[in-house]
Amino acid sequence: MRERLEDRDLERTLSDIGGRLEGPRRDMWPAVRARIDERRARPWWSRLSIDARTLAPVAATLAIILVAAFLLTPDLAARAAQVLGLPGVQIYRVPESPTGRPTTSALTFAGQRVATAAEASRIAGFTVRTPAALGDPSALYVETAPVRVTIVYASVKGIPASPQAGVSAIVVEFKGTLETQFMAKAIGPGTSLDAVPLGSGVAYYLSGQPHQFFFRDPAGNVQPETLRLAGNTLLWEEGGVTYRLEAQVSQQEAVRIASTLR
Amino acid sequence: MTGEPLGGTVVRRVRTDSLEGRPAEDAVLVERAQHGDTEAYGELVRRYQALATRTAYVITGLSAEAEDAAQDGFTKAYFALGRFRSGAPFRPWLLRIVANEAKNRRKAAGRRATVDLSVAEDRPSGDTALSPEEAALASERRTFVLAALGKLREEDRLVIAYRYFMQLSEAEMADALSCARGTVKSRLSRAIARLREIAIGEGSADA
Repeated sequence: MRERLEDRDLERTLSDIGGRLEGPRRDMWPAVRARIDERRARPWWSRLSIDARTLAPVAATLAIILVAAFLLTPDLAARAAQVLGLPGVQIYRVPESPTGRPTTSALTFAGQRVATAAEASRIAGFTVRTPAALGDPSALYVETAPVRVTIVYASVKGIPASPQAGVSAIVVEFKGTLETQFMAKAIGPGTSLDAVPLGSGVAYYLSGQPHQFFFRDPAGNVQPETLRLAGNTLLWEEGGVTYRLEAQVSQQEAVRIASTLR
Repeated sequence: MTGEPLGGTVVRRVRTDSLEGRPAEDAVLVERAQHGDTEAYGELVRRYQALATRTAYVITGLSAEAEDAAQDGFTKAYFALGRFRSGAPFRPWLLRIVANEAKNRRKAAGRRATVDLSVAEDRPSGDTALSPEEAALASERRTFVLAALGKLREEDRLVIAYRYFMQLSEAEMADALSCARGTVKSRLSRAIARLREIAIGEGSADA
């Protein structure tokens, strides 16, 4: 087209085009009514006009923000722990549980190995107590950054060795001060969580699939627990210290063991 | 807008709201549809199916896909009637939903920027007194402008279409484009300027 279009010609041409644009060749209503009926037959939630492709990134982003907020914000962590009633512990629901797999380092525990609870107490700065029902510990380990005591019971009569940790029971103790540390526990659909009475307080019993732990070190960094995965676990708090008992025992037995803390 | 389909003659029943036989107002049909009168919504579909299909066509550039997008737009609008603000104009609200549906389809298909548009050349458009030379020139202009339109941005194409193809009022355009009424004129004038630039470029290349 060699000539230049004047404004008037351009507008006239555009209007001309509008009059010649294709439209539907038949009544559209029967097809629309069929689509309405089809959509009505669906469950109500699938009638929402939100495309799954649109929703998926939004949901994923929200999940990341929530987890990050919980893991990285001490205030939120503190509030969540208060709601749970157990200082230093957070429990998250996750879509699936991590796979428990024994590793060569399953029996390797971090920290300084000590012989007695008294020695562990001296290093840790709080009174380390042991459940009498488990007998004498096989080993005690004290970590100082953050402060954490791990008491290992290699073989206890009536308690099978954990396929993950390779020992009968583990008791972990630490000061439940959220400013210095906290841990999160990931629980999936194969795990159940029960609040059970213990003495004058409440304990939390997690059973089913193995769990994975996350810790926050004193610098505020989140540290995943990668060396071992726990089996059934009882979490409780007494006198500002949080206790974690990991053993393949029933809820009732776990509570009984916990009640023998000396 | 009578909503008569462009592609052929369709005999249809028009719902009336009074003894005088006037077509029911959109607001009356919308209210009936909101209260479960599906046939009232059917009347709205018939009334605006041409407008909705044209809107989708300007975005998709494919007739079959435009009809499909329009039908989906009508379906979504039906289920959104509960959120329709009483007293608001129905036409731009519907066009907004249809345009979104068409845009989503185009985006999902990942098509290139240029849209191929065409018009029915054998359809009378009102200029009946054209000489054969004038008719040939008008046809050439249409082809030329359509090619330039196809290269415009989606939003520019839509604002031109609302004004020249569908004769929406300024207020309706603002509503359909989700923009302030005061910006409609400037958006239209920018779109026309860009259309002209493309057309000039095409003309130079053609020369």
